[in-house]
Amino acid sequence: MSPQLEVQLIAVIVATTCTLPGVFLVLRRMAMLSDAISHTVLLGIVLAYLISNSLTSPLLFIGAVAMGVITVWLVELVSGSRLVHEDSAIGLVFPALFALAVLLISRFAGNVHLDTDSVLLGELAFAPFDRIVFFGLDLPRALVGGIGTLILNLTLLLLFYKELKLVTFDPALAATLGFTPTLIHYGLMTSVSLTAVTAFDAVGSVLVVALMIAPPATAYLLTDRLPRMIVLSVAIGIAAALSGYWLARLFDVSIAGTMATMTGVAFLGTFLFAPRRGIVAQVRQQQINRERFALQMLTLHLLNHEGTGNAGVECHPHHLIEELRWPASFAVTIVRRAEQKGLVQRQGELLILTEQGRQFADAAIVA
Amino acid sequence: MEIAVDIQDLTVAYGDKPVLWDVDLQVPRGVLMAIIGPNGAGKTTLLKSTLGLVKPAAGSVRIFGKPYEQQRHLIAYVPQRSSVDWDFPTTVLDVVLMGRYGHLGWFRRPGRAERAAALAALEQVQMAEFAHRQIGQLSGGQQQRVFLARALAQDAEIYFMDEPFQGVDAVTERAIINILRDLRAAGKTVVVVHHDLQTVTEYFDQVALINVRRIAAGPVHDVFTEANLRATYGGRLALLETSRVAAPASSAAPAPGD
Amino acid sequence: MELFTDYTLRTVTIGAMLLGAISGFLGCFAVLRRQALLGDAMSHAALPGIALAFLLTGQRDPFILFVGAASAALLAALWLLVVVRTARIKDDAALALILAVFFGFGLVLLSYLQRQPNAAQAGLKSFLFGQAAALIERDLWAMLVVGVPALALVLIFWPQVKLVTFDPDFARSIGLPVRGFDVLLTVVIVAAIVIGIQTVGVVLMSAMLVAPAVAARQWTNRLETMVVLAAGFGALAAMAGAWLSTLGEGLATGPLIVLMMSLVTVLSLVFAPGRGLLWRNLRRRQVLQAS
Repeated sequence: MSPQLEVQLIAVIVATTCTLPGVFLVLRRMAMLSDAISHTVLLGIVLAYLISNSLTSPLLFIGAVAMGVITVWLVELVSGSRLVHEDSAIGLVFPALFALAVLLISRFAGNVHLDTDSVLLGELAFAPFDRIVFFGLDLPRALVGGIGTLILNLTLLLLFYKELKLVTFDPALAATLGFTPTLIHYGLMTSVSLTAVTAFDAVGSVLVVALMIAPPATAYLLTDRLPRMIVLSVAIGIAAALSGYWLARLFDVSIAGTMATMTGVAFLGTFLFAPRRGIVAQVRQQQINRERFALQMLTLHLLNHEGTGNAGVECHPHHLIEELRWPASFAVTIVRRAEQKGLVQRQGELLILTEQGRQFADAAIVA
Repeated sequence: MEIAVDIQDLTVAYGDKPVLWDVDLQVPRGVLMAIIGPNGAGKTTLLKSTLGLVKPAAGSVRIFGKPYEQQRHLIAYVPQRSSVDWDFPTTVLDVVLMGRYGHLGWFRRPGRAERAAALAALEQVQMAEFAHRQIGQLSGGQQQRVFLARALAQDAEIYFMDEPFQGVDAVTERAIINILRDLRAAGKTVVVVHHDLQTVTEYFDQVALINVRRIAAGPVHDVFTEANLRATYGGRLALLETSRVAAPASSAAPAPGD
Repeated sequence: MELFTDYTLRTVTIGAMLLGAISGFLGCFAVLRRQALLGDAMSHAALPGIALAFLLTGQRDPFILFVGAASAALLAALWLLVVVRTARIKDDAALALILAVFFGFGLVLLSYLQRQPNAAQAGLKSFLFGQAAALIERDLWAMLVVGVPALALVLIFWPQVKLVTFDPDFARSIGLPVRGFDVLLTVVIVAAIVIGIQTVGVVLMSAMLVAPAVAARQWTNRLETMVVLAAGFGALAAMAGAWLSTLGEGLATGPLIVLMMSLVTVLSLVFAPGRGLLWRNLRRRQVLQAS
């Protein structure tokens, strides 16, 4: 395989691996934990390195994953004291851990290739040059790691789909049914941690967050159903990854950065143009609603005041402008629409409800 | 009879779901009025749109004949307790002092006169000894009284309260209703979103029954009838005991989870 | 102490203390408004602004970079507001998304800059981790120019700011322009962020907003005291961090400041009388013994 192909393959696999746990992070409103974890895994790596004195020890990997889970535990410890709100707890814990990591690196590991830059930036372009031999195949390490994590995440997802779904949408019920939400929760966090560790060497912390959160958020604008959301997230993630790669090559800029940007572009596009929840669709729906709404208000108003003493005032079109706070042109339009639809009739200067209009008004209350 | 609050054709919607439809309500000066209705029926929304906290889709609110924006200094608001973070670093006295900010204007700081007014308000609700306590250290009833003191410090003509009796102990409840009666005796007008049907006839002069639309409003003895209650609560009532409602003699309480 | 006699060290120390004080003070409002992570997101989002400012002007002048950083951060805040209000994306996902996308775009710009034959751009990368050790006097002036008006605004409108933060509904009912104050407070926090990025970098900035405020809260129940304490803690931690970094090789100033600040916070959480965990534990034991 050519290096280019390998890089794209890695990108696709990383994108998929990240979006899977990301879906549940978004649904459980824990998105910022991905940001925290993706930064603190560095501390795990550093500590493990200092203990094992080797850059290839498996302890590094274990340490990183463990640190991710410890981060979550610490955040809950701090916010559980009830002295600190949860968002402040996150903003306290991860910078402290990250600062420690940076400090340790600069003090004890300054001349080792434990580049703090790569934590944040990653460089996918270099991935093909970091190879290992796996079952006789000569592959980029990132690819092996990525596939491994992908298989793990997929397996966990398939095995625990029911539990994940239940715990996400109804934790109380899950608890009464005997599923420990805490176990699932920490399982998810371990998965996130693992994914962050395998991914960031190639793409950096930031892209991990982008891939975990942006595609699921985008998918959430398109669908209500969990299976569809998962599939869409993966598709969007892959599309962003590939398009990001090609654009980065075109302009000779950071691959990870471009991929992250493309996830943002995908979100923006969906945010604007999604069929039901996009802005454009919402504006159109609002206009439709405004008319229906105004017709309802008109007929209800007439219903309220017909036959009463001051009907002569209340049922006059001018009154609409005053009391219903409608601009004159709007009032005219609505009255005309109402007449067109057979909801009201003119009786001299006043407006009166037709039978159809009365039914329309009644239906409005029920709805 | 002077009209303190005149609500005309008030319509409020969230998105395209109407919460209040074409509501008319006149609150005469000097009465204690309860606003009653099922949850989600628009009671709090009615209060909030009268105060300008929520923008109505249609309709108007006049306070003593003028638009409410011009009459803010005549209005006091006691929101629901759940609307603030009680861990906020501020003392009881500080909160009550905030009731004087409307009178202070932009660049003046609260001085001795304001502190005196705040302490007097705290005396009225029997919370003066808690003046320097942080608000999170209070019980539910005490917190409610602090909010009430803040409103009293505003020295207003009309008082709007959102479920002030919700979740308070009996002592606090008695204290609050006494203060409301004192206000009425002083010629003030009090409008209360009330949750407890059992106490309507005992506490209030007038009542407004709201369920998205205005079902009925007026003096308690005329309006607080079984028929009107059924119309408001949509038939989901449990008959409990007698003599709580104006004739015919049967009482009602809202079913939970409305 | 040579911290204050040596010119470079003095500049670094004063700069760090300014940051600590200003961000400690203003950070109280981020924490009280539950916007701690907004600070984090906005500081990450500032990166493309800084890169663009350099790209367009070619200068590493702090004022210009401040403008770039502030513009990007405010744009991010605005974008966040729009997304949360109109789509059904919740605020945490929106924050993470904006953080990662803006930052990613910043990385793109940085990598583009690396291709430029301009030596000064190397300094931009240190915005990621701060460049406390490289502060010069001009940077200090920039901090003051941005920080002092921000503080002044809060102090001038103190009663209103306090009320709007505590009870926005009540504030609105007495006629205060709550929306305007929301904007003011966001701008003021952006000012703190922009100052802080220079010293401790994008990633660690949120700690400088959050930690002093959290620490200060444990020692007092009054907002007036809290902001002063937070400023004090921030300045103290900054000074300690600056001093510690002189003690040996490879001791980066930014992380040291953050670590010192976190230490102060942990100590406050545990030992503060009245609220602290130790006190709470003792109290509980007293109650158990009494019964």
